[in-house]
Amino acid sequence: MRYYARKFGFYLVALWAALTLNFFIPRLMPGNPVDILMAKLAQRGGTVDPSARRAYELMLGTNSSESLFQQYISYLGNMFRGDLGISVSAFPAPVSEVIAGALPWTLMLVGIATFLSFAFGIILGTFVGWRRGTWLDSLVPATTVLSAVPYFWLALLLVAVLSSAWGWFPLQGGYDILLSPGWNGEFIGSAIYYGTLPALTIVISSVGGWLLGMRNMMVSATSEDYVLTAQAKGLRDSRIMIKYAARNAVLPSVAGFAISLGFVVSGAVITEQVFSYPGIGSKLLQAVQNNDYALMQGVFLVITVAVLGANLVVDLLYAVIDPRTRVSG
Amino acid sequence: MTNLSAVTVEPPRGRAGWRSMLPRWSPKLGVGLALVGLITFIGVIGPLLVGDPNTIRDISLTPPSGDFWLGTTWTGQDVVAQLAHATRGSLYIGLMVGVMATVLSALFGIVGAYIGGYVDEGFNLFSNVMLVIPGLPLVIVISAFVPADQRGMWTIAVVLAITGWAASARVLRAQTLSLRNRDYVAAARVSGEKPWRVITVEILPNLLPLLASQFVFSVIYAILSEAGLSFLGLGASNSSTLGTMLYYAQNSFALQREAWWWFVPPGLIIALFGCGLALVNFSIDEIINPKLRDIPRRRKAEVSKVAEPVSRTDDDVVLTVNNLSVVYQVETPVHAVKDVSITLRRGEILGLAGESGCGKTTLAYAINRLHRPPAEVTTGSVTFHDREGGDIDVLALTPGELRAFRWSKLSMVFQGAMNALNPVITVRAQLDDVLTTHRPEMTKAQRKAKCEEVLKLVGVDVRRLSSFPHELSGGMRQRVMIAMALLLDPQVMIMDEPTTALDVVVQRGILREILRLRDEIGFAVLFITHDLPLLLELADRIAVMKEGEVVEYATAQDMYEQPAHPYTRQLLDSFPSLTGERGAFVRSGEQMTPVDRSGEPTAFGGVR
Amino acid sequence: MTTLEASELVKDFHVRVGLRRVKLRAVDNVSFTLTPGRTVALVGESGSGKSTIARMIARLEKPSSGAITVTGPDGQRVADRRYRDNVQMVFQDPFASLNPFHTIEHHLARPLKLHGKPHGWNDVVQLLERVSLPGRDIAGRRPHELSGGQRQRVAIARALAPGAKVVVADEPVSMLDVSIRLGVLNLMARLQREENLAVLYITHDLATARHFSDDILVLYKGRVVERGPADDVILNPQHPYTRILASAAPNPEARGRAVDIDPADVEKAGAAAAYDWV
Repeated sequence: MRYYARKFGFYLVALWAALTLNFFIPRLMPGNPVDILMAKLAQRGGTVDPSARRAYELMLGTNSSESLFQQYISYLGNMFRGDLGISVSAFPAPVSEVIAGALPWTLMLVGIATFLSFAFGIILGTFVGWRRGTWLDSLVPATTVLSAVPYFWLALLLVAVLSSAWGWFPLQGGYDILLSPGWNGEFIGSAIYYGTLPALTIVISSVGGWLLGMRNMMVSATSEDYVLTAQAKGLRDSRIMIKYAARNAVLPSVAGFAISLGFVVSGAVITEQVFSYPGIGSKLLQAVQNNDYALMQGVFLVITVAVLGANLVVDLLYAVIDPRTRVSG
Repeated sequence: MTNLSAVTVEPPRGRAGWRSMLPRWSPKLGVGLALVGLITFIGVIGPLLVGDPNTIRDISLTPPSGDFWLGTTWTGQDVVAQLAHATRGSLYIGLMVGVMATVLSALFGIVGAYIGGYVDEGFNLFSNVMLVIPGLPLVIVISAFVPADQRGMWTIAVVLAITGWAASARVLRAQTLSLRNRDYVAAARVSGEKPWRVITVEILPNLLPLLASQFVFSVIYAILSEAGLSFLGLGASNSSTLGTMLYYAQNSFALQREAWWWFVPPGLIIALFGCGLALVNFSIDEIINPKLRDIPRRRKAEVSKVAEPVSRTDDDVVLTVNNLSVVYQVETPVHAVKDVSITLRRGEILGLAGESGCGKTTLAYAINRLHRPPAEVTTGSVTFHDREGGDIDVLALTPGELRAFRWSKLSMVFQGAMNALNPVITVRAQLDDVLTTHRPEMTKAQRKAKCEEVLKLVGVDVRRLSSFPHELSGGMRQRVMIAMALLLDPQVMIMDEPTTALDVVVQRGILREILRLRDEIGFAVLFITHDLPLLLELADRIAVMKEGEVVEYATAQDMYEQPAHPYTRQLLDSFPSLTGERGAFVRSGEQMTPVDRSGEPTAFGGVR
Repeated sequence: MTTLEASELVKDFHVRVGLRRVKLRAVDNVSFTLTPGRTVALVGESGSGKSTIARMIARLEKPSSGAITVTGPDGQRVADRRYRDNVQMVFQDPFASLNPFHTIEHHLARPLKLHGKPHGWNDVVQLLERVSLPGRDIAGRRPHELSGGQRQRVAIARALAPGAKVVVADEPVSMLDVSIRLGVLNLMARLQREENLAVLYITHDLATARHFSDDILVLYKGRVVERGPADDVILNPQHPYTRILASAAPNPEARGRAVDIDPADVEKAGAAAAYDWV
């Protein structure tokens, strides 16, 4: 129980830190984003009503007479109500609506790609580490080349070859625009078809990291006494590999999930841009290009919350697979 | 000392410590260093050799040619010249971020862990929070708020360093925590070293490989992230990096216009540089964890048929080891076991005594063919004489037969039951999988009954079946190991230092248990230990090993009363008797002969 | 005549159990005096608190209560900043107590320098020769080039470097191969005689404790259960726990005996009132 309490406590602190960071960054930076936003809003013919300005000011900081602390409290209040202001680039939609529309795309794409790359990496790493000293060893340097490649560069090359030249995959987008979004087979099939290449990019670029980590831990685990015991017990090799070596070797990969997830999400943001994928990575860049600060910060917060949530889930899973964390103390 | 001492001929000093910090040469390291060196050369020297990268010509997008090795850009600029300058810019960013991030991570990781207490908890919480907040989105947000004209190289480098140090800090902290508890750090404190000196002189050098690997990691991270930022148009303004080059190439639709010579090289340089650094990092990892070193390609494990098995001469014998030799096939082969012959009788306890490195464990493993490459049985045979009749030539068993032989005929109890049990599965699962493998016909209920039965035999509460190893005490774990060894009613049990890590009182209980079970069940025991007095009390016969050879092989009684070999006598003398004379132990001096102690201070009288 | 007096030492560790912090008493009211030329042995099993006492004397841990006082030859209490000139420690594992990165010379020159002694190459060589090592040959080497016995001799030389008169030896031979253990113990005995050292010898091995020391203190769960002259404590133990310890030690003369010790008996024995010879 103590483990769970600590984890929840930690993620609350991390969430608070992210919110606070989000509050202070615009205030510490040069320039006056609120005025830029209001000007843009006026350009779009939006009525500059006081409540919109107030939301911006709370988020981005202003010269008003209100004390920083009061602003901070009101800002936190707005955040908890999900009031992230109005997007300029998608005027007049509120930021929360823009994000809600884009979020499922990213969650599906990044979620599935991360899961696949984790699974491939762990499975390949298990074999490479177990069959050490065979030709499988050469897989390790090969995959590190892939993980040193910039995501967007790889993505563009894949598009140039697989989509433009060979026409296997669509150039960009999240689904066939002739279809109207809905829960029907045709649309879902199209979404999968359009999502394959972006997902492939993420998997190719990130699988090397998992593979290397798992392989190194397998090498260490293989020389542990419990593996020797298992061999002395006359168990089958496959059983020793999975239940004794890999079962222990996977723990650090799961514990270090947070580090790797950060990289995957970062890469995914750029990958979405390359494919004009309708996820929140594209929204983030759309916001940056249009100086849509409200949307930008909203997206940052949502990405952070999603990453924190994913890490929390993984941490809770870790407690299930490593009995030692469950002891109190 | 003689007169020679005036002429100080000093042996070579220093250097060796640094040499141990250098990676071992390997093809991977060679390729890695070559890649890194080549690209650094392009970045450092290249800009001096090429023309102005910004010269605009009216030859748009010409393919590679003699004049322009990598063709020209949309505006007719020389791609090679651009590449050289861009590489310099990217390396510069990488270096800056690498240094800053490493310093930050060392500060939060090493200093925090050394000081400990609330400082460490605070630093650690901070690092972990920084770690879970996704880096690139944060960098994008920060960069977007900085107006483009104020966004220089330094701004980008600082932002990347701030978002990129946390993972390294976590790694460094873990390592520092473990180094901090090493005795040499405590010893330095006891000699009166100041804390800053303990950190910088005693701890830091041992962290160097790790710091180097984290530095390399930061450089890769920085170059990749900068490229990403620049590609999004958020990079440093007025500077040329590989990322900005790709940004311009992409925005001029280089790929769509099939101008691959413009788009491909910058990305390739990043990829090759990252790959080179990663290869160098492999070698650094091998210093940190020597287990990761490349091992020679494994030959297909051949069934060694080195000698004919020994057929039984006497129904009383259960195991015959004949002229067995084991060699570690390394550069200069090491004969770990030389021509050893022993026989184990049914129900007897045969002691195998010797000091570390004498080959006793290698011998025990070779009997069960548990030795791993590069160890290899070169001569001899191991024959198991089954009580159901028939002799088994252990060295000739096929892998499948070997698996069936192991544990059902011959089981093992290892030293340090701490690690011999799998830490993440329950005791029940570890007992159970022996039965599912060797007795597939047993039902679940039968297996459960059997597991409970063996636990009761060794005096462990059956409720412990659902415990994990870490929930058991050291003595309890060793009992569970013995219970596991009993599961299939084996005829031989090999015990490798089964009680060494335990306190004497606990050890006594385990030994008693072994003797009682041996009497009740009648298996034979090969008992390996360095503790000769223990064997003299426990074993029926004893083999003393030294440097791979059995130097004396006799009954315990004979060995105690008339040890024949000088080494045996030396070993026996090494254990002063609790109640009797003190053997070779001389309180008043280093020499082995007793000295006249009259006239010494009374303080030394206690041993008289 | 430098003596060390430990009086009523108590050490509590705070362990977290669930959300509460629980006090764990590792050392409970232990007192003894170390006098020049004499060895006191602390005997106990793991968890008896014997290493904690060593670390408190070496000032690696602070006692929760109680005092450690060192009195110099002039009869004055030794000041805190001079404490480490007088009290040094030899650690258990010579493979861990020497820094793999540094030469043997570094390990000895540093303490010499810190305590204001001449610390040149020749001083280091001399110090090594005092522990019967070929100094010239060894001083430039790294710990991994030496055998376990050689390493432990270097560790002993390091403890002597500051000119300490009180030496704490925490299981100095338990990690060494059996055939070289007595050589190292004999060396310590010789140095003790030459320097008139006060030695605290910490061990789990009753036999070496008996032969190597003048007085023995038997520890159980942080408390001294029996103390007295070495031979008396071992040959004629009074406290039930000491008897159990003595009977559990391997004894070739007692082949075939049936010593079965119930953990509950140990618990009960340990709880018996302390027995004091003095």
